[in-house]
Amino acid sequence: MRIITLTCSACGTIVAANELEDNRVMKCPGLKCDNVLRFSDLPEKDRTYFLENQERYEI
Amino acid sequence: MKGVLLSGGTGSRLRPITHTGPKQLVPVANKPVLEYAIEDFKDAGITEIGVVLGHKGRDEIQALLGDGSKYGVDITYIVQGNPLGLAHAAGCAREFVGTDDFVMYLGDNILKSGVADLVNSFESGEYGAGIALQEVDNPAAFGIADVDEHGTVTELIEKPDEPPTNLALIGMYVFSPAVFDAIDDLEPSWRGELEITDAIQHLLQDGYEIDSHVVTGWWKDTGKPEDILEANRLVLEDKQLTAAGIIESGAETDGRIELAQSSVIEDGAVVRGPVSIAENTTIKSGTYVGPYTSIGADSTLDGVHIENSVVIGESTITASGRIVDSLLGRGADIESADNLLPEGRRLVVGENSQLKL
Repeated sequence: MRIITLTCSACGTIVAANELEDNRVMKCPGLKCDNVLRFSDLPEKDRTYFLENQERYEI
Repeated sequence: MKGVLLSGGTGSRLRPITHTGPKQLVPVANKPVLEYAIEDFKDAGITEIGVVLGHKGRDEIQALLGDGSKYGVDITYIVQGNPLGLAHAAGCAREFVGTDDFVMYLGDNILKSGVADLVNSFESGEYGAGIALQEVDNPAAFGIADVDEHGTVTELIEKPDEPPTNLALIGMYVFSPAVFDAIDDLEPSWRGELEITDAIQHLLQDGYEIDSHVVTGWWKDTGKPEDILEANRLVLEDKQLTAAGIIESGAETDGRIELAQSSVIEDGAVVRGPVSIAENTTIKSGTYVGPYTSIGADSTLDGVHIENSVVIGESTITASGRIVDSLLGRGADIESADNLLPEGRRLVVGENSQLKL
C-alpha cells in the first residue's frame, strides 16, 4: 500500500495524504506555522491513486 | 542513522489521565516518557529524529520537544493522522529518512539499556532490519521471533499456540530503507492496519537477513496506570537523585531523594526514598512520602501518607489518610473530609476514573 505524504514548504512538517484528504484545505499542523496545505498540492498521480484506494486509508 | 519516534495513539488505557493530553507526556520520575526516548536516541549518536504524531496531543508534544535544540537534536514532525498501523507510521517517515537506516522507537516505551546496543548489533552486519527481543514467561501472548544460533531471525509468529522460543518483540526496531518497498507491497491486516511484523516478514521473504538483539535490562510499555507506577519504580531505582532543595532541620529523610531547588521538605515531614519531588513543591509537617513516589511541580502535601505513587503536578493533598499505588492527574486535589457532616467521601470524578475506597 503506497503511503503518500506532503512536506510543508514553510516548516518542513510532513503530512500524510489521509490527513490532507480529510481536510482538503488545512492549516499546517506544525506548531506556529501559518502555511496552508491542500490535498490539491499533491501530484495528480498521487491524488488519483489515493482516491482510487481511499477506503484502505481509513480505519 | 536516523530516529523515528512514534507518538500517536489515543491512550485509552490511561484514561482519565489522557483525556487532557497524550500518553507520551505522562511523567515517570517527573520526566515525560517521550523525553527518555529522545535521550536514548542521543546516547546512541542519533540526532536527526522524526516524531510521528497521530490525532491526539500534537500541539502538546510539539510544545514540549520544539525543534529539539534543547536536547541537542534536530526534530522533524510527521503527521500520520489515522492510526493505520506501525508500518504506515514508518512509511510516513520515508521522505524524512531518505536513504539512511533508521531506528523506530515506540514513544510510550522505556528501556533501561537504551538503543545503542541494538544499533551496534545491526551495524555489525548487512541486515535488512534489526529487532529488539526480550525473554518472556508467557510467549503465547506476544509476537515471537525464532532465531538461529547467530541470532539471525528465521521467522516471526504472532501469538503462537506453540511458541518456538520465548523471545518476544518489544517494539524497538532498526530498518534499512529496503523496508519502504516492503511496506509498499503490504495489504492492511484483518484489523485494517499495516503491520510492521508483516513488513519484516516481507523482508525475510525477499532474502534480507534480520538481526536480533536480546534486551537484558528492564523494558516497560507505559500504556496503563499500573505500568506508569512500575516504570516510575524502575527509573527511581536506577536514577541518580540529588537533593538541591531545602530540607528543614526537623525533617526526617532517608534513602535517595531528588528534591528540586525551589522545593521544601518542612520540619516534621518524613520522606523515605527513592523519591522524586519536582519544582515549587512543599512537603509539610506531618506528611509521609514513602519509597517509589514522584511528586510533580507546584504541589503541596499536608498531613497525607503517600507511597508508590505518581502525582503529576499542581495538586494539593491535605487528606489525612494513606494513598498507595496511585496515579493522580494534573491539578487533582484531595482534601480531608474530617469534621464534615454528613460523614462520607465527597467525589468529583471524571469519566473513566478508577477508585478503590
